[in-house]
Amino acid sequence: MLEELFYQEKELFLQKLHPAAAMLHICTLLVLSLIFTNPLYLVGIFLCTGLSVYALEGLQTWKLFIKGGLLMTVPIMIINPLVSRAGATILWHGPRLPVFGKITVSLEAVFYGAVMSMRLLDVISIFCLYNIMVHPDKALNILERFAFKSALVLSLATRMFPAMIRHLENIKQVQVVRGVDFSTGSFRQKLDKYTNLIYILLLSSLEDSMEMAEAMQARAFGSGRRMCYVRDVFKPEDFICAASSMTALFVGALGAVKGYGVMNFYPYLGSVYSMGDIYLLAFMLAMLSVPTLLSWGWHRCRYFR
Amino acid sequence: MPIFQVNNLSYYYPESEKPALKGINITVEEGEFLLVVGGSGSGKSTLARTLAGLVPDFYGGVFSGKVLFKGQDIRRMDRRKLSRHVGMVFQDPEKQLVKTEAEAEIAFGLENLGLPQQEMLRRVAEVMDFLNLEEAKGRFIDKLSGGQKQKIALASVLAMQPEAIILDEPTSQLDPTCAEDFLNLIKRLNEEMGKTVVLIEQRLERCFHLADRVAVMKDGEIIIQGTPQEVASGSIDSGIPFIPPVARFFAGAGFSNIPVTVKEGRSILKNYLPLQNNDADSITQTGFDNNKERKNGETIALKKVWFSYDDKKEVLRGIDLQIFPGEFVAILGANGAGKSTLLKVMAGLLYPNRGKIMFRGKACGKNLEVYRQGKVAYLSQNPNDYLFQDTVEQELFFTLKNFDKPDEGRVDNLLEKLDLNRHKHRNPRDLSSGERQRVALASVLVTEPELVLLDEPTRGMDYALKADLGGYLADLCKGGVSVAVVTHDVEFAAEYAERVIILYDGRIVSDGNAKQILGSSMFYSTQMARMCKGFAEDILTVEEALDILGPIIFRAGANAAERGMG
Repeated sequence: MLEELFYQEKELFLQKLHPAAAMLHICTLLVLSLIFTNPLYLVGIFLCTGLSVYALEGLQTWKLFIKGGLLMTVPIMIINPLVSRAGATILWHGPRLPVFGKITVSLEAVFYGAVMSMRLLDVISIFCLYNIMVHPDKALNILERFAFKSALVLSLATRMFPAMIRHLENIKQVQVVRGVDFSTGSFRQKLDKYTNLIYILLLSSLEDSMEMAEAMQARAFGSGRRMCYVRDVFKPEDFICAASSMTALFVGALGAVKGYGVMNFYPYLGSVYSMGDIYLLAFMLAMLSVPTLLSWGWHRCRYFR
Repeated sequence: MPIFQVNNLSYYYPESEKPALKGINITVEEGEFLLVVGGSGSGKSTLARTLAGLVPDFYGGVFSGKVLFKGQDIRRMDRRKLSRHVGMVFQDPEKQLVKTEAEAEIAFGLENLGLPQQEMLRRVAEVMDFLNLEEAKGRFIDKLSGGQKQKIALASVLAMQPEAIILDEPTSQLDPTCAEDFLNLIKRLNEEMGKTVVLIEQRLERCFHLADRVAVMKDGEIIIQGTPQEVASGSIDSGIPFIPPVARFFAGAGFSNIPVTVKEGRSILKNYLPLQNNDADSITQTGFDNNKERKNGETIALKKVWFSYDDKKEVLRGIDLQIFPGEFVAILGANGAGKSTLLKVMAGLLYPNRGKIMFRGKACGKNLEVYRQGKVAYLSQNPNDYLFQDTVEQELFFTLKNFDKPDEGRVDNLLEKLDLNRHKHRNPRDLSSGERQRVALASVLVTEPELVLLDEPTRGMDYALKADLGGYLADLCKGGVSVAVVTHDVEFAAEYAERVIILYDGRIVSDGNAKQILGSSMFYSTQMARMCKGFAEDILTVEEALDILGPIIFRAGANAAERGMG
């Protein structure tokens, strides 16, 4: 099941995009989800990301990400209304608690918590999109030109992480054969049992890392200035996707500067939408949907090829 | 001028008082194929690393003597320049691959050399074509087979176009077919491309004949070197076990001219023995029909067991299998045939999707109670997964404590039997790989199990260690314990197993007496079985061949000598 969380080559249009174009699309989604606070915009970005995930046949993976995301949103939605004092429309007066003082829950704080949760789901979905859309090596190839060592560490981590999860499973099986029962015992005892697993994994990983470093040195790693192996050609469809993403980013940023897509929460909730907001959102979503539309056309209509 | 010249080389690893290499003198000529053999800890890998410039650069330690590459001191050579000339392939492909995708991995070394883009593209394309890696293109390395991964590691080195390639036990993780393919590839590189090859290997039957020269190492020294024939003759005289079975047989039968291949051996046998034609129409019997008395019933029985991971393709398909007390069963098959999965199912670590598992006549199902009592011992492929306590002794106590079993001298007894007593207060991670494996084995045997399951226990082991392990497992069987070993090592299976099972695509395709199965199989057979086929049946090991054929050859030789004199 965990393997679904990582990139799998499915030979799909969106996976074949030039990594620069794909990264630009993903970065645009991410930046826009961070600069806008209007829930309409955040829902729009969420749907747009979902469409891309659908085109990448990754709904199952997205479900796993969303499940994890929803777990994280619960504390935000609970804690924010309890600790925020900025809202003016009080819904509930609670008791006085040590540290927190008198508890009040305002409409604005509830709304703000909900919008921030939406934003978190956006970010998680975009991360999911990145995971299933961009081949890790290709993405790191771009980064390599600026920060090679960091890129290499990331590349190794990407390769090693699924292997480490499998290794952890093997270690757990070995412990079971040696009589360790992971389902019984107090929380402390269970923690000890799982700590042993991590400890064994760390010991083995440390030993393996020496062998890997040696193999890298044998292949001239660190012997001087290096070059970057580039295989990807920038195709017309990459240009179209990159152009649409940049347009969405530029228009979105300009709109945010002009006050569109940004909502006031405190002390009173501002207006959720204006006609300007609707036009801007529609245009941006159209631009952000271009890669998905091209993907649809690529698979269904020969004129797109 | 030789490509490598090693003069009086000695080397100590950091914080070690014992030299890993001691006064080594050896030359390797350009285009030569040198095979380096020897026991665990004899210094083979250290010598390989010295030739690749990794010792002492990477490890530190105390180094004396000189290693010259084409007359140039290797220690004074720039790392980039050295990497262009000398490439090294390591034992475990998993631990030498850096990137996630095959093509990027092959280009890794080229990127490090700072080659222009066009040159990199050309070299990657050439190497992928030469090694027939088109199938791996664009695929995740993680999804490739062990053989393909090792090919990628070789490709990555070859792309750098080195003049010499050093390989440190490159086939130890591969099944026999992949290993054969890989070694043939190395031979092609040597013969067709003129590459100098220095190969370290344990399974000599695969590669002894490929080498131009063989060097045998012991305790950090080269004790004998020469052509394969010279080394085979010399090794027998000095009692060195590092020669292939065919050579051992002829040396043992008193021949002065020692062959090293099955072909050479058969052509000599033809002079002494008539070829029988009774095997042409013989059909391999499948289905185990052992008449051995079984009073106590089976230890474990699998009935129509099916298993798949995550509802994907079935890995085990309708397995019917019974293992009886005191039986030593070897499970063979290609990578991906389902051998390890079968072992895990038997160990109760995986639950079958369909079918039944009976342990001592009781159905197990999802009930792990049987295993929690320590009646089944399972040793996985990686002994390091077992080692995390501060001392060897504590590893054994850990298992005992989990099963609530008293010591009653079991720990000391087992450590003694496995020759680990002197290490009992040492950290298991400080031991050699062979010793670590024995500690891992001890940690599961301490509960005195009735069924012992081992996954590839002989990987990377030398002859002596294998003999120790085989002997110990055979002793367990004598005590009524059932042993099942998954292995690619046919010679080991022939030596110790009484029953052999061959798995293919999740099914048992052959199950029977070891002699019957290994003697009739074309690929899963020993070197001796292949050599003796048609001359005498049911011969798998050198000892059996010497017992059956030795006297006949000796008599035939004596008669021929008499006729010659007459």
